[in-house]
Amino acid sequence: MASAWLETLKSAEKTCLVQDGRRKVHYTFRDDSEMVEEYDTRNNELVVRKWKKKGTFGGPAERWEYEVGEQMVPTSVETESLVVSSSNPIFVRKDTKKSFQWRIRNLPYPLETYDVSVNSDDRSITIRTSNKKYYKKFTIPDLNRLNLPLEQKQIKVAHANNTLIVTYEKPAEMMEMERQVQDELKKMKAEKDGDVQCNQS
Amino acid sequence: MVGQAAARRAAGIILEVIKEGKIAGRAILIAGQPGTGKTAIAMGMAQALGSDTPFTSIAGSEIFSLEMGKTEALTQAFRKSIGVRIKEETEIIEGEVVEIQIDRPASGTGAKVGKLTLKTTEMETIYDLGQKMIESLTKEKVQAGDVVTIDKATGKITKLGRSFTRARDYDAMAAQTKFVQCPEGELQKRKEVVHTVSLHEIDVINSRTQGFLALFSGDTGEIKTEVREQINQKVAEWREEGKAAIVPGVLFIDEVHMLDIECFSFLNRALETDMAPILIIATNRGITRIRGTNYQSPHGIPIDLLDRLLIISTSPYEEKEIKQILQIRCEEEDVEMTEDALMVLTRIGMETSLRYAIQLITTASLVCHKRKGTETSVEDIKRVYSLFLDESRSTQFLKEYQQEFMFHEIGK
Repeated sequence: MASAWLETLKSAEKTCLVQDGRRKVHYTFRDDSEMVEEYDTRNNELVVRKWKKKGTFGGPAERWEYEVGEQMVPTSVETESLVVSSSNPIFVRKDTKKSFQWRIRNLPYPLETYDVSVNSDDRSITIRTSNKKYYKKFTIPDLNRLNLPLEQKQIKVAHANNTLIVTYEKPAEMMEMERQVQDELKKMKAEKDGDVQCNQS
Repeated sequence: MVGQAAARRAAGIILEVIKEGKIAGRAILIAGQPGTGKTAIAMGMAQALGSDTPFTSIAGSEIFSLEMGKTEALTQAFRKSIGVRIKEETEIIEGEVVEIQIDRPASGTGAKVGKLTLKTTEMETIYDLGQKMIESLTKEKVQAGDVVTIDKATGKITKLGRSFTRARDYDAMAAQTKFVQCPEGELQKRKEVVHTVSLHEIDVINSRTQGFLALFSGDTGEIKTEVREQINQKVAEWREEGKAAIVPGVLFIDEVHMLDIECFSFLNRALETDMAPILIIATNRGITRIRGTNYQSPHGIPIDLLDRLLIISTSPYEEKEIKQILQIRCEEEDVEMTEDALMVLTRIGMETSLRYAIQLITTASLVCHKRKGTETSVEDIKRVYSLFLDESRSTQFLKEYQQEFMFHEIGK
């Protein structure tokens, strides 16, 4: 179903902007949801992909949801309610050209502690720890969009500098699809930062 | 409630109808003299319906405002009384409290800071607590070993019970303490909850100019018809997909004779739409002029609308009932009264009005306090009866001394 997702991308309304060494593409889809992708201009790697979807009752969504990349929010010290403490593990997806990659920082336990497994029935990957300190269940939306299977043998796990790195190698169909998206984006005229026309009526 | 057996029986039948969702779109008129419990019956119906059925109560004169049209105000009232039951996903945190630590600043004043450690069978996470969260945690008396859920958006804490692993044989605890399993999986979960929101609330969220925050500011102004049409369409879609259910509620308009002919014709139309709530209107007028016209009509309501109404009438209270109401009122206001005083008060209630008699209860008890008495007696009632005039004595007084008041010549 690679073509279906590609068609959705093609039919979406797109705006492109080069800023701070990143090529930022904004998509507005037919159902009014928005998506922003940011590519590094040097190697065309995907740095950020975030979504803004409509609330259940209509009305604008309050914030962006990050699929790839990290949300840089200034966390104020004096919060009213509760926030996850900064000493907790932080889960971030950071892709490379050939693979999907997740980095979980602030995880000091040795490599044997972790168990990363694929559950094929609900198409998700689970990270478990034998000392019951960390647990995370996540999906790969990219593969879901293309309806590609999840396979255990594609997963590699590494641990260094208090960080657990889970790598999932992209299948060939995925790579092909991404190449086509890149071709499509190259056709677009990117606006340089600063020369945005501002017509005053 | 006291008396009005017939009217209450009728209201009971209507409640049955509302609960079964049979005739959404019919209307009921409660008519009766002043002080015969019309509003009380409507309020009672609201309570009997429970919190899930939307109940909106407005007074007839509320719709006249400079900020919005009469029909806009009526439409809003109508849409407030139609509920949409829909599933929505919310993010919650569910876990067992491992440790809760609250640091008070050494100086005694200033913001508190705190840490909360929660765990499931699989993981553990530390949260930093803000001022508000600390307050609600202390209010709920959350302690280590409790299993709690915290709604991320609202910050609402719900205690589910004590964790099984913390159960000891000789722990002293309340009889209603529930034991629950430690939750599984991730701490943060997405859970589907069923909400009932009114159509008006959806309108407000979607009216672009105000956005989401207008819900809290209260002042919404007029809402465009296009927005409403869009929402009706959306709701119909949800309904067909089985995502949402419509809950027709009840709209109560008190003092309905204050509405004018335009509002009445609007009501006529509005009752015919397929999503109309049950309309209950109340009036204390007899045959009178319809506002905005020179025509006389029963209850000040046009005949064509009256024809669509089921009419419940309330009758004046009997002596025994008045006594009972006054007794209840005395208990409510913590006033002790002698049997004789109650008899006198009941007579006053029969001869003047029930409301006047009720007013006298508190005033008489204050007089009683002043003379350091414990039980309000006939003397106290007599005293306040001479101090405060009832409506008929006041009219009498005015008739006698009219010429000594200002501007009396103009009236002639």
